[in-house]
Amino acid sequence: MSRYNPFYFIGQAFKSLWRNSVMTIASILILASCLVVLGSFALLVADLNLNLGELGLMNEIAIYLDPELDDAQVEEIGKTLESMSNVDTITFISKEEGLEEMRQDYAEYSDLFVIAEGEANPLPDMFYITYADVTKATTLEYQLSEIEGISKVILRLDLAMQIESFKSGMTLVFTWFLALLFVVSIFVIINTIKIAVHSRRNEINVMRYIGATRTFIVTPFILEGALIGLFSGTIAYLVEWYLYTYIEQIVVSEIRMIEVYLFSEVWQYVLAGFLLIGTLTGAIGSSISLRRNLNA
Amino acid sequence: MIELQNVKKVYPNKTAALNGVTLRIDDGEFVFVVGHSGAGKTTLMRLLLREEKPTSGKLIINDFDLTKMPNYKVAHYRRQLGVVFQDFRLFPNKTVYENVAFAMHVVGTPASKIRKRVPAILNTVGLGDKLNRYPNELSGGEQQRVALARALANNPKIIIADEPTGNIDPEMSIEIMNLLLKINRLGKTVIVVTHEKSLVDYYQQRVVTIEHGKVTEDKVGGMFE
Repeated sequence: MSRYNPFYFIGQAFKSLWRNSVMTIASILILASCLVVLGSFALLVADLNLNLGELGLMNEIAIYLDPELDDAQVEEIGKTLESMSNVDTITFISKEEGLEEMRQDYAEYSDLFVIAEGEANPLPDMFYITYADVTKATTLEYQLSEIEGISKVILRLDLAMQIESFKSGMTLVFTWFLALLFVVSIFVIINTIKIAVHSRRNEINVMRYIGATRTFIVTPFILEGALIGLFSGTIAYLVEWYLYTYIEQIVVSEIRMIEVYLFSEVWQYVLAGFLLIGTLTGAIGSSISLRRNLNA
Repeated sequence: MIELQNVKKVYPNKTAALNGVTLRIDDGEFVFVVGHSGAGKTTLMRLLLREEKPTSGKLIINDFDLTKMPNYKVAHYRRQLGVVFQDFRLFPNKTVYENVAFAMHVVGTPASKIRKRVPAILNTVGLGDKLNRYPNELSGGEQQRVALARALANNPKIIIADEPTGNIDPEMSIEIMNLLLKINRLGKTVIVVTHEKSLVDYYQQRVVTIEHGKVTEDKVGGMFE
């Protein structure tokens, strides 16, 4: 059994792209913009998570103990904390450890800390706990403040909540925006392929009479869609590269407290994602169009 | 062999294009199908090309039962046929050689075989010296000969010509008909759908007349009534 030459299909797809160059360019630009938005959003979320993870702000509560407590009472409070349902991890920092940490943080003044050693240490013992469920964090805060021997509870919930709501608001806006862009992309690709089919309808008709299989007729059009996606992915990657590196430089040189992934660390994922999503979108758009416009 | 048994075709708008056609065409026959406009010739063609299915009856062509054939087999079925149209339907942006080669390419013929066969077929139809011409550089008769070469490219058993002389001058028509006869003598079944009385009368072949969706006459050496 003879086989088809794959270069024929690729050649036909390129010819068709060239013949409908205006629609081709429109499709590529729209799909590429869509991919840039998607990529930027994904990178933003990744950077946000990186920073939140580093700072540990999201789900940490600092508990300051009454300085008057003895070791047994401190241990008792530790056990109480362990028994609480929303408590995830518990770290005890004794006042000596607290002082040591301070000494390290302010190494150039370490001599001054001599006066605060031993009995003179003004720091209280502390627990740092993390919680599992942010929605029950305020309840936990209240429960903690009710425990005898705890002098102060610091919950960074306001910040956590703000970040959380910022993230979900942003996700919502971007999801809608993305959905809209993808619908437009698919629509444009459907029309591009429709025009391509239309301009070759006589040829397709003759091909059918000669005995061309549906695969033979359809493959160049599917490839055409996939190529549109591939070009879009490549362009989107280059734009994303430029944009992200630009922002990355500003952040790295000027806003040092924020950490970001370097583009050199993530470029493979961005490129692979763009090419894959682009190609699939193109091929799917093309398939839909063929089902509608070609009754082979 | 082509066999139609009581084939009916009724369109959704209730027009009955064929009203029970029974017809048998053996391998290697040459048949004119004649009839006035609207008699049902075109519908018969469409059924033979499996563009449409009969509403009822049986239609068998070379072991293919067209009444039961699933869509995915249609392409392979059509490779049994070589089709020639009144308007030639050549690719204007392809040369004579490329037009014929394309038909072989479509069915997946290896390039080496295409290179050998295309010039040979074009010689058969008398266009061996015009391989690199484009269709618009050829006369109507020559274009139809290219279409014939294309129809022959994949060595089909049956050639169906739909008004093959409709767009060319009378002198050229004789040439095309002679070619079709020559092809018939090579062992192919040839069906020519036409309404050109003079040609039919001149060639004295089997003539199947269709009127009002029925075969009204079927005679060897027949005339166009």
